[in-house]
Amino acid sequence: MTELLQNLIDGLGRGSIYALLALGVAVIFGVMHLLNFAHGEMITVSGYAAYWAFQQGWSWWIVVPLILVVSVLTSLAIDQVAFRRVRGADDFTLLLTSFGVHFVVFSLFLLYVSASVKNFSRPGWVTDTYKVGSLRIEVFDTVVIGVTIITLLLVSLLLQRTMFGLALRAAAADFDTARLMGVRSDNVIRGAFGLSGLLAGIAGVFWLMRAGQTTPSAGLDPMLKGVLAALIGGLGSLRGAVLGGLALGMAEVLLRSRLPDSIAGLTEGVVFLLIALLFIFRPGGFVSVAHAERV
Amino acid sequence: MGGLFPNIKRDVVFPLIGVIVLFVAVVAGALLYQSILGGAAERLVTLMLINAILVIGMQIYVGNTGVLSFGHIGFGAIAGYTFAVFAISPAEKLKRIPDAPFGLAEVDMNPWLALVIAVVVTLGFALLVGIGLARSGAESGAVAATVITLALLFVTHEVARNWPDLTGGDRAGLSFRIGGALDTRVPVYLALFCSLLVARLYAQSRSGRLAAAAREDNLAARAMGVNPLVQQMVALLISVAVVAVGASLRVYENGSILPDNLFFDLTLVTLVMLIVGGRNSVTGALVGVVVMTAGRELARRLGQEGFEVFGIGLDGAPLDWVFRENLQTVFLGVSMLVFMIWRPSGLLDDWELDEWLYARFGKSPSVKPDPLAELADNTGPALQASGIDVVFGGFQALKGAGLTAETGEIIGIIGPNGAGKTTFVNVITGMVKPTAGSFAIGDIDLTTKPPFELARSGIARTFQNLRLFSALTVRENVEASALIAKEHRRGHAVPNVDAIIAEAGLWDHRDRRARELDYGNSRRLELARAAATAPSFLLLDEPTSGMSNSESLEMIEQVRHMAATVGAAVIVIDHDLGFITGISDRIYVFDQGQVIADGTPAEVQADERVRAAYLGSAGG
Repeated sequence: MTELLQNLIDGLGRGSIYALLALGVAVIFGVMHLLNFAHGEMITVSGYAAYWAFQQGWSWWIVVPLILVVSVLTSLAIDQVAFRRVRGADDFTLLLTSFGVHFVVFSLFLLYVSASVKNFSRPGWVTDTYKVGSLRIEVFDTVVIGVTIITLLLVSLLLQRTMFGLALRAAAADFDTARLMGVRSDNVIRGAFGLSGLLAGIAGVFWLMRAGQTTPSAGLDPMLKGVLAALIGGLGSLRGAVLGGLALGMAEVLLRSRLPDSIAGLTEGVVFLLIALLFIFRPGGFVSVAHAERV
Repeated sequence: MGGLFPNIKRDVVFPLIGVIVLFVAVVAGALLYQSILGGAAERLVTLMLINAILVIGMQIYVGNTGVLSFGHIGFGAIAGYTFAVFAISPAEKLKRIPDAPFGLAEVDMNPWLALVIAVVVTLGFALLVGIGLARSGAESGAVAATVITLALLFVTHEVARNWPDLTGGDRAGLSFRIGGALDTRVPVYLALFCSLLVARLYAQSRSGRLAAAAREDNLAARAMGVNPLVQQMVALLISVAVVAVGASLRVYENGSILPDNLFFDLTLVTLVMLIVGGRNSVTGALVGVVVMTAGRELARRLGQEGFEVFGIGLDGAPLDWVFRENLQTVFLGVSMLVFMIWRPSGLLDDWELDEWLYARFGKSPSVKPDPLAELADNTGPALQASGIDVVFGGFQALKGAGLTAETGEIIGIIGPNGAGKTTFVNVITGMVKPTAGSFAIGDIDLTTKPPFELARSGIARTFQNLRLFSALTVRENVEASALIAKEHRRGHAVPNVDAIIAEAGLWDHRDRRARELDYGNSRRLELARAAATAPSFLLLDEPTSGMSNSESLEMIEQVRHMAATVGAAVIVIDHDLGFITGISDRIYVFDQGQVIADGTPAEVQADERVRAAYLGSAGG
């Protein structure tokens, strides 16, 4: 029982980061029907920005806002350079464009920085824990969960109370109709990339704090988590994305602690397999990506 | 052969000639390059030819079905490991994987037999994945399919990393001998030639044409009698077989296999090659391989040696910031992005060498066919629908609607917008399942049948909002229907493709793409494509909407005549009372989901309720 509770708390911490990532993926999918394989690039770029900042001798207090700013700017820049030019293209083109963005960013860091891992110091409290009864809780997880809750509350306020939020939700519910109703699609999409970049930035702060390093392909892993979690939640759905992120975090922690050691390395594969099975056996149900056919 | 390929000269002979030309050109070019640069280029050329096999294999699936697969290199990994486990000598295996399951460590096998086993095993996996893809509702551009194939890639990679007893694990892997085990390039040539030929023949075959139709418009293809899932499965299996051969050869050439050899990087390289060349064309895929290999090699050399590769040797050249190590990776990524943004259909789009050759040298001058004769004897069971209810959420779109259509009749369905006319057609063609009621042709109940089976039973339709196979030519659009008719409408008058095209007034446009047609001709093509399925019942959803009066009159004549030549009853929907009374033998009037009147045009026009409902709500 204690172990299960422990797993749940660990899963919640991990899942919170995934939820932030997945929410960013879902926002973009909602407004332009793009499954964004470049969603991790914000973390790659801000990872190198953080590395550069630490080289200047800056502390985490300055680096955190720096990461957020860089992440938002990266997201907007990617939209400006690539996605803006493929608005309205078919899903095939959109998907491969994002794949292309990922590889361009990856290869630029490979070319101009190097393939080797760049390390920076993690904040001291990342590994601290405290005890509640027989549970060991990480300070880090507590912070992650707290920040995630605040972020989600603010995002939901943004979505419920502002014109931008209304436009975004309308677009997510039915993109074509929203456009017909006069939603300024380009502004909404740009706003969505900004929001998605901010969410990736917050997730990125935690990701980088824990990793304490960056590489040209650092964005791949968070991108996959975000995409998988968004898929679990049913791509278009924002609430689903958050739940998907939490579910993915829990599933990973549970699998890792329950699978026998010999196949513990398979965790990612098992999660992937489960999602594939979900698509196979519940197409359009739990996962609502299927388009309604209009005759 | 006749059943498999509609036209032997166009679909078999010319593709064979085209493939020979392509093959000779690529191999000759490669050998020339190799003879100029010497031994260093040898491996590059071999790898390019093997990559070509992989990319052609991917093209067979991605090109013909439009489904983006990230999983083909995952299939390649399955093939590569199977091949290695069977083909590596027991002596070597006992060093690396002494505990391999099923006593595989002791198996001693000729590599070519191992290749066959690798293909068979991989096909087994492809069958499973294919069933999964089918269940997920794979269609062109489907996100679900992409995720499933991506899952395959990741799962095979993780299994390979975590099953050292079979795969040698992450570090050591499996190996034949250092420096490569393939002593001659003959098998590579042979495999490349065969994959090119298989790819071209498949695209021209019945299955390939139907898959391409479904790629262009899945729903319209199903409405014509195509079961896209079957054609996608055929494409997948053929494509995976080719990829399995390519991957095994790659492993043999390398002399070893590690999990990362057949994973993300190779997926990227091969996908970029396919996209850049043009995923809808075999010629394009091959061109993509050559262009990207050359480009990458150039980028690599420039990255390593800077300008010196041209013998100029500028020290501290201003372009040093570009010519750096790993430039080839940037080249790959940028190529992908640039093509996706500016030319997503690739260099060649769907241009094929053999089609060009056929158009120039192969085609016999075609003569416009004579008008079709109307069938004299035309009897068959009637289509009967009764008590059809459809509820969408809380809205009842149809309440006990029904209709009877005898062969040879022209039935009009009329009613104001929202009366349930299109919903009724959607029910009869299987696209909306009724909540109650049934319909049948004669004694055969069809209520629960999927669209493609209904089409095969003789119910064809057109779409109000035009759903043509837009990248295919007019002739290919009609031909796809005719292929279905030939197979599933035996015993019915299956019309000649050319004659139908001429009948629809599209003879001069027959080699144009459907997307290039103007609105009126697009409508005519919808009609021709539906008529070519040799239907017993032809359902037309507002066939004259957006047409001028004179065009409409002409269309009425075409509909009448075409229905008579294929022996079909016509059920035509419109909201224009004048048009419907002009064309129909009998009329059903729909209002608010119910049939409020039926009878001859005169009877219906005299009906009080019709006047009230129709004139009242639609204003005339």
